[in-house]
Amino acid sequence: MVQDLLTVIVGGEAGHGVKKSGNVISILMNELGRYVFEMDDYPSLIRGGHNFSVVSSSTSPVYSHYMSADIIVCLDKRSVDMHKDRLKDGGSLVYNADTVTLDPGTGLPMKTWIKDIKGIPLMAGTIGVAAVSALCGVEFSFLERIFKANYPRGLEANVELARMVYERMKDDEGKFELATAETRPGHLLAGNEAIALGAAAAGLDVYIAYPMTPASSVLHYLADLSKKLGMAVVHPETEIAVINMALGSAYAGARTAVGSSGGGFALMHEAFSLAGMSETPLMVILASRPGPSTGVPTYTCQGDLDFALNVGHGEFPRIVLSPSGTNQAFEKAAELLNLVWKFQVPGILLTEKHLGESWMTTSIDPESVEITEPSLYDGPLEQYGRYEKTDSGISPMLFPPVKGTVVKASSYEHDQKGITTEEAEKVVEMQEKRYRKEKAIREEMRNLLTVATYGEGSKSLVTYGSTTLSALEAVKNVDDVRVVQVIFLRPFPDWALQEALSGSDVIVAELSISGQFENLLRSKGFDVSAHIRQYDGRAFDPPELAARIREATQ
Amino acid sequence: MNLETYAENTWCKGCGNFGLLNSFKDAVNELVEEGALKAENMVISSGIGCHGKTVDYLNLNSFYSLHGRAISCVSGMKIANPNLTVVAFQGDGDAFGEGIAHVIFSAKRNMDAMLLVHDNMVYGLTTGQFTPTSDKGFKGKSTPRGSIEEPMNPLALVLASGGTFVARGFVGKRKHLVGLFKKALLHKGFSFVNVLQPCVTFNNTYSHFRENTYILEDEGHDPADFQAAWDKALETERIPIGLFYQVEKPTFTDLLLEDLVPAERRKPPSTAISEIISER
Ligand SMILES: Cc1ncc(C[n+]2csc(CCOP(=O)(O)OP(=O)(O)O)c2C)c(N)n1
Ligand code: SF4
Ligand SMILES: [Mg+2]
Repeated sequence: MVQDLLTVIVGGEAGHGVKKSGNVISILMNELGRYVFEMDDYPSLIRGGHNFSVVSSSTSPVYSHYMSADIIVCLDKRSVDMHKDRLKDGGSLVYNADTVTLDPGTGLPMKTWIKDIKGIPLMAGTIGVAAVSALCGVEFSFLERIFKANYPRGLEANVELARMVYERMKDDEGKFELATAETRPGHLLAGNEAIALGAAAAGLDVYIAYPMTPASSVLHYLADLSKKLGMAVVHPETEIAVINMALGSAYAGARTAVGSSGGGFALMHEAFSLAGMSETPLMVILASRPGPSTGVPTYTCQGDLDFALNVGHGEFPRIVLSPSGTNQAFEKAAELLNLVWKFQVPGILLTEKHLGESWMTTSIDPESVEITEPSLYDGPLEQYGRYEKTDSGISPMLFPPVKGTVVKASSYEHDQKGITTEEAEKVVEMQEKRYRKEKAIREEMRNLLTVATYGEGSKSLVTYGSTTLSALEAVKNVDDVRVVQVIFLRPFPDWALQEALSGSDVIVAELSISGQFENLLRSKGFDVSAHIRQYDGRAFDPPELAARIREATQ
Repeated sequence: MNLETYAENTWCKGCGNFGLLNSFKDAVNELVEEGALKAENMVISSGIGCHGKTVDYLNLNSFYSLHGRAISCVSGMKIANPNLTVVAFQGDGDAFGEGIAHVIFSAKRNMDAMLLVHDNMVYGLTTGQFTPTSDKGFKGKSTPRGSIEEPMNPLALVLASGGTFVARGFVGKRKHLVGLFKKALLHKGFSFVNVLQPCVTFNNTYSHFRENTYILEDEGHDPADFQAAWDKALETERIPIGLFYQVEKPTFTDLLLEDLVPAERRKPPSTAISEIISER
């Protein structure tokens, strides 16, 4: 029987090359013409512990991974204990015969083989990939080609191991007959990579960040590509330095972004408010993990919504948006960078580990991204004021050096030239000027995709961020429910959401114990008839979520 | 060149900040006249405190930043556009309390920026608390029975952190101060000038410094000699002012950017991005 949806779990110790093998399995599936979603689960440590990767793939889009698997590869004993119950009926369990004996299942003497060929522990992962490949009936030459591209170091040893696996698993070869397609349905990118590339496409000049999971991979990715992209990438001493440098950089005319997770972003608040006051364009990538405090660093959650919406003392306009998958992440990252420069405000791209660190099949077109230039001053220079009063609230910019005037930005309340003031009238004038930009942003949002509706149904499952991915996968098996994703969270697109919901019953799904997103919807006047919440640090498993939706809509 | 603005000056009469501001103006004017500096290429930034008002009083590009963060702010400007000449004006509370990490790291990475500290050994604007450089026993509003901490040594700190231009000036020695500012502005790399700036209202140190400072240059100090600079930095009986140490080293932005000027780059690298994606 030809099989479409296939889920593979590979588990092992950190140091076994688990993530790498998940990646190579994804690449293999992608090369077979299949859409992929890969979730990597790993604790916050470097050696030992338990890592696993889940790769769900199909010839039609897979929006999120499944937690029950057709094939489970266990590189150590702990993986067997943790995952054997996730095996579907008729599934295959492959395990390391040097550490356990199991029945049923396919035992491969992984350690012995690696020792025989004088390999390294990381090669356990290679054995896993080969086992999956054999079970799926992938021709050996095809696998060899994948290995060539992905294991340039120690290629021969890896190929030899794969040959041993194919030999040993001859009887099971092709047990899963996979549906395939001629061409690859897209490229494999992680959410953070898509965000980074989206910002780059919209002209990001400078990226400044201090490492913090799950935002670090934006820093790593851009640092790696900086020469190719013509970008300056800097890792300073603290998050406070990060954002203050970023404001100086943007003041000088470079499109600049910063990135962190909750704790690091908390350190940036004072300067986030400075961005509001000084009207300095700034893009912030806020990648969420379960809090409070250090929390559960390498897992996913949506507990930072209120935090993102309300950060910064004082009142000033800002933009908060949250993308679902990689395609949207690319588009919305580019859009946010353009918007913060158009309106000279700070903006937050709120995301979660589930998007940021998962691999998805992606189709994006960098050529389609346009760069919106900021409003630039072209009047008589002696009259220039950085904070000139305008109807829209947007004051034309200049970047030093300019001969004939000065550009004065300030954290204090200031007059139109940027000189400190405490006069009541001038304070009012500037408060109102800044506030007018809020209205201008709302106007602009009417031309943008602020709320997305997927599918049809008389009931609406309302989500934001990467929970949208779980929802899209779940409703494949639920009748009469569409998914409505709120992309812009501040300013809130109430008009667009009203239109999208058109009076339907609303079920809210989110990864939060207190229901921050639901509370936001209610505060905007929307009724919610049921909610589904999870806060264990994991994304929803689509079948489980489907069951909870069915329960909620009965 | 007219460096005045219309902002009303609100410093106390006799405040050391006047001497500092005027010396800085003289330094800029002289360098501009000598053709060594273009005023439009300059961007200044300040922290929050009495010292911060300096940016309002100078008709130069400026970013009035946060308490302790001016050096980070100008570092960002330099990364965006290495052709700018950037100066951070910070207070002693500002630079050595709230923002000390940035001072250490700016020195460490030899950021091509000038940091000028208005060291009055007191928090002026918040009406007189002890700062990191206040003497032990200093009676401020938060230490009414006298500070129980030893003061910090800013010059030794910056020397130890890798500063490539380390100087101390005194507003009571204006001409000397102008000379230091000029050298600091021209130095390629991190230039640090700690300025003894009496606060007449909360910590009047004029006579103390008049009586106890001496000029390094008068005593044949060699600013190329790190050990000599270190020894001088630790002197407390008599207080040396002048250029302690100067060395030429590659700057952070030289190494980071090579020929790139991020602020001037506008064309998006869409072909580069397409290439990156197609490899995946
Ligand atoms: C984050 C933050 N904390 C506290 C303050 C309040 N504050 C304003 S100025 C200042 C101290 C200034 O002392 P110093 O840096 O020595 O400058 P001076 O006034 O002496 O020039 C403080 C604590 C502030 N503005 N921001
Ligand atoms: S309080 Fe001190 S530092 Fe502030 S203006 Fe007055 S004299 Fe100068
Ligand atoms: Mg002070």
